[in-house]
Amino acid sequence: MFKAIVSASTLRDALDAVSVLVDECKIRLNEDGLAIRAVDPANVGMVDLALDVAAFESYEADGGVIGVNLARLEDIAGMANSGDLVHLELDEETRKLHIRIDGLSYTLALIDPDSIRQEPDIPDLDLPAEIVVEGNQLDRGITAADMVSDHIRLRVDEASETFHIEAEGDTDDVDLEVGREDLIDLQAGPADSLFSLDYLKDMNKAIPGDAEVTVELGEEFPVKLHYEFAEGMGNVTFMLAPRIQSD
Amino acid sequence: MRLDEFIEIEQNERAERRRLAEEKSYAVVDHLDSFRERFEETVQGDSTFGSVSPSIFVGRSNYPNVSAGILSPVGNEERAGKFATSGAWYDEGVDLPEVFRRRTSLLNSSRAAPVNVHDTWDGFVGVGREVAIADRPVQVEIGLADDPKLDFDVDDVTTPTGPRATARSAALDENPHVPRPVKKTLEDDDWRAEGAINYLYRRGFDVYDVNTILSAGALGRSEARRLVPTRWSITAVDDTVGRYLRGRVRDNPGVDAVQVYRNEFVGNAYWVVLAPGNWEFELVEMKAPGSVWNPDPEAGTWLASDYEGYEGRTGYVDETAGAYHAARLAVLEHLDDVGRQASCLVLRHVSDDYWGPVGVWQVREAVRHAFDGDRGEAETFEDAVRGVAEHLPVATTALRRKSTMVAGRQSSLTDFS
Repeated sequence: MFKAIVSASTLRDALDAVSVLVDECKIRLNEDGLAIRAVDPANVGMVDLALDVAAFESYEADGGVIGVNLARLEDIAGMANSGDLVHLELDEETRKLHIRIDGLSYTLALIDPDSIRQEPDIPDLDLPAEIVVEGNQLDRGITAADMVSDHIRLRVDEASETFHIEAEGDTDDVDLEVGREDLIDLQAGPADSLFSLDYLKDMNKAIPGDAEVTVELGEEFPVKLHYEFAEGMGNVTFMLAPRIQSD
Repeated sequence: MRLDEFIEIEQNERAERRRLAEEKSYAVVDHLDSFRERFEETVQGDSTFGSVSPSIFVGRSNYPNVSAGILSPVGNEERAGKFATSGAWYDEGVDLPEVFRRRTSLLNSSRAAPVNVHDTWDGFVGVGREVAIADRPVQVEIGLADDPKLDFDVDDVTTPTGPRATARSAALDENPHVPRPVKKTLEDDDWRAEGAINYLYRRGFDVYDVNTILSAGALGRSEARRLVPTRWSITAVDDTVGRYLRGRVRDNPGVDAVQVYRNEFVGNAYWVVLAPGNWEFELVEMKAPGSVWNPDPEAGTWLASDYEGYEGRTGYVDETAGAYHAARLAVLEHLDDVGRQASCLVLRHVSDDYWGPVGVWQVREAVRHAFDGDRGEAETFEDAVRGVAEHLPVATTALRRKSTMVAGRQSSLTDFS
């Protein structure tokens, strides 16, 4: 059983965070809200998303799992104005999701959840550095890095207590230095890892500019990017495996 | 498949390379002279002559009105098969002068033709298509409208082409032998080109045969059957078969250890480093100041590279063009053979000895045969790169800046759980 009403903008923010990594996913319809966890086919990038029951206008669910084609669902959600409410209802008999937006109804065929890639276990990482930065700052560093290279270095300078977003290209270099005064918070620690810009750019697309992003970082370790949406009632954790220089 | 995905080089750049090749080998001019002698012996009186055609050539200028050409080794008919580019050239050990000798002996009799040919099986274009789908050289009779222009042309993807003449007519002097799988793809006009290309490859046709058949507009859905310029068809087939093989190898386990293979062919040295991990691929090219390829010899060795991750590329192959797809195909064939996947770096050093571009077949064959030889093993990918770098004309720091994989190889989340 699943029946819910949610604002179009909240639904879109949630779907965007997942669709940057995968084309289809399982959605867990838990009693306390929706949960999505997905990993890209290369096992490089992962998303873990929760949307609390409080983010919905109304919500009833009993723990089922559905499989959805994200592009389709995003297209439908795209038909709504941001203030519109989206009505979702699962038809258990036909295994279809009925979606209603201001007089428009759409019946979405679901995907057998067993045919979707298994949800990953979240690696249990104890990362030594934690940086809390505004989405806009991150975006600035990623945009600049993209001008010179296809990979990006995230690093903490423990002595000067600064966070660095760096890129080394064929000929040109980029270094965005963000000091403690421009960070929301910083727990300095040994942290220096290289990442694929393709992945990080995609993740960055989903992160709102005004979000507070918690970046957990280590040395040649995956990075965790955590932020909230839907006025704190939704939260997303991205995890991205590094490009490594030593085996 | 979108053919215009494959990048073009500027016309004047091509002219410059041709000039350089000419400068490096006066022999090319001699070859053209000896072609003239053979041509004059063969074509007497009128301008119709009988020959044996092993292949065709479709130009790309003025697309969609292209020049469709039937190639024939005038005066060398008994060895016609040797004049078509194939993997056998590597086995024969042909060198650069021999490639130019063969190709400057091959007359390209061509006519302008619209590419839309799906039901054209008669006339000049029809004869060319029959030649392309046959699995052996075909006896033809060609009527020329003018004297051959004794010239040659080079390109970074196709094999060089030789003298050209405008054709009036062409006729078959025998019934060409068309292999059964080719007949099958020809008859099925609801089969997309990608599927038909891979079908022929799986049935044992090498990419050389498949790209000639594709070029003749003999694959794909009927309304989409068009003449495909030779340059585009080479890259399209390497890319299509490569994507098919990539889909297969990505389910294989990774290689056990870091392996290094090396090969050298026509002035090009290749190193292939395979490391445990998921599929990723990069070709890094280092072009010596004196090779015809270096656009800025003053600045020293020219570096170019292109990379793809596990899921392949979405953008154009900007810097290494057809060589990228040819090298990737060769590596994927090896991985498919041994039932593995790997993180693969191919380094190509183009030396001063590579005075004339002979086409990407040399990249494909050199990398294919790199796996025949002994292999080295290294503890780590970085050790392997350090070892190889000692033989390279560039510093490791420059290599790290240019190469995505040398800067860092993609790990997977499962490595950390």
